[in-house]
Amino acid sequence: MATKFLFIYLPYISAGIFTLGVLYRFWRWARTPVPLRIVTTPAPRTTVRVILRMVGDVLWFPSLFKGDKFLWLAAFFFHGCLWLVVLRHLRFFFYPVPEWVVAMQPLGLYAGYLIPFPLAFLLARRLVMERNLYISILGDFFALFLIMAVAISGILLEVFFRAYVVDVKALILGLIHFQPVVPEMSWLFALHFLLIMVLMVYFPLGKLMHAGGLFFSSTRNQRANWEQRFVNPWDFPVGYNPQNLFPPEKYRPAPAESREGKKE
Amino acid sequence: MKVPFSPPTLKIGSSKNQLCHPAKEKDMVKIDLPKERLPDWKEAMLKKMAEVLDKYRSVRLFLDICVKCGACADKCQFFLGTGDPKNMPVARADLLRKVYKRYFTLGGKIWGRANESEELNEAVLQEWFTYFYQCSECRRCSVFCPYGIDTAEITMAAREIMAAAGIATKYVTEVVAKVYDTGNNLGIWAPAWKDNCAFLEEDLKDTEGLEVKFPVDVVGADVLLVPPSADNFVNTDTMIGYAKMFHAAGISWTTSTYCNEGGNFGLFLNYANLKKINNRILEAARQLKVKKVYWGE
Repeated sequence: MATKFLFIYLPYISAGIFTLGVLYRFWRWARTPVPLRIVTTPAPRTTVRVILRMVGDVLWFPSLFKGDKFLWLAAFFFHGCLWLVVLRHLRFFFYPVPEWVVAMQPLGLYAGYLIPFPLAFLLARRLVMERNLYISILGDFFALFLIMAVAISGILLEVFFRAYVVDVKALILGLIHFQPVVPEMSWLFALHFLLIMVLMVYFPLGKLMHAGGLFFSSTRNQRANWEQRFVNPWDFPVGYNPQNLFPPEKYRPAPAESREGKKE
Repeated sequence: MKVPFSPPTLKIGSSKNQLCHPAKEKDMVKIDLPKERLPDWKEAMLKKMAEVLDKYRSVRLFLDICVKCGACADKCQFFLGTGDPKNMPVARADLLRKVYKRYFTLGGKIWGRANESEELNEAVLQEWFTYFYQCSECRRCSVFCPYGIDTAEITMAAREIMAAAGIATKYVTEVVAKVYDTGNNLGIWAPAWKDNCAFLEEDLKDTEGLEVKFPVDVVGADVLLVPPSADNFVNTDTMIGYAKMFHAAGISWTTSTYCNEGGNFGLFLNYANLKKINNRILEAARQLKVKKVYWGE
């Protein structure tokens, strides 16, 4: 029963929470209006430059590089490894496996071995630096430990207690094609699988949404086209308070003859 | 000698007693805010907070996606100067974030303090009033944030929320009220403005022998100049510079006694006053029938 729950019900539940949760968060941000132009300088002036800036922000974090070199190094290393590891796991999702996934297998493998190092650095940074400890909350440590546990269980599966890959693939393809099978799996694989499910459920609930949120960030996705009027969708007329000593109707500018403006 | 930069060690609570003076009733009434803190301030603030969250994508997003990496922490001059950890941009935003979590997110409602969420109470309000008025909205933190999180947006939201419940500072409200009375932040009345301009004309004639005019309220001029009001009062060399420049370029120009202030303190208070003060520039431009507005601050 427990294995049936873990390998059949839980994947569907967590995939559902992940998908709906992420879509809900995106929808919530997308439907909230953007009242003002608040793009951060140096601001791009054309849409092409905005796209280039966003691509840069997603791939190599230039702002963080300006701010904190060591943190940038760890963050870049970590996210890069994470991408490679995720892409490597695509081999379980496709039959037949695409050529490029086969080609990047070794790269993904080494990335997987290395991933605990930047994670450990990020954790140490939170614990050792006093101001980072001050701002860290439970969610920050939870996310770090969760990803660390996923990574270490994955490495152990690869190196010491290997799972039978054909069974893993049968499990995942079964889930994808809605013909789930309950496999015979070691407890370590079950743990690795469970942790991934937990990560999927936690993803839309907490700060991990920074992954998609960046695209909605008004300071980064706007253009500095000052020539064009920016209309605030919820703008409202403002009235005058009777207590104002100098309302507009009291303002009577003198006609041009009475005072000299230089006019030729 | 070049001293290597090092961020300060934390001095918890070191600037918690550096408070702004509270707003005065006479100013609050003039700028369409409750004259004093409302008896049901908590409900008023939460209502305003819900409104702000639905009106500003920036606020909702920035409260949601911060990962607390700490890249902004040693970039805020208020933190560098005081060492008070609550002056780190991320911690400043956390003051609003914890209330947001408590009332507007599922996690905060369920997990409570474990999710760093907190009830809006007197102590939290005191922190808001202290630390959201120790931010100059310079946006330096947003330059270094990997997601462009702009703590100025959070500060503005928090001040707007507090203002809706009748909580603001004397400095800001007094200046805003002054704009509606005199047209500028410094409180220079129309006769004084005209007199200052006449004085500068004479002064320029005496010292440099130049016949340069400082026109005021001229209908039909080409350009309306909206300078920082201090230029006509303190930094008069700047005002003289404008006049010389217009004179040399042969552009007909004017200042207005209705609106002679480029700075907008509504930015430090709330959207309605921000807009109202900016509207004055447009009204002055329409009444003077100018073609262009030159506007600086």
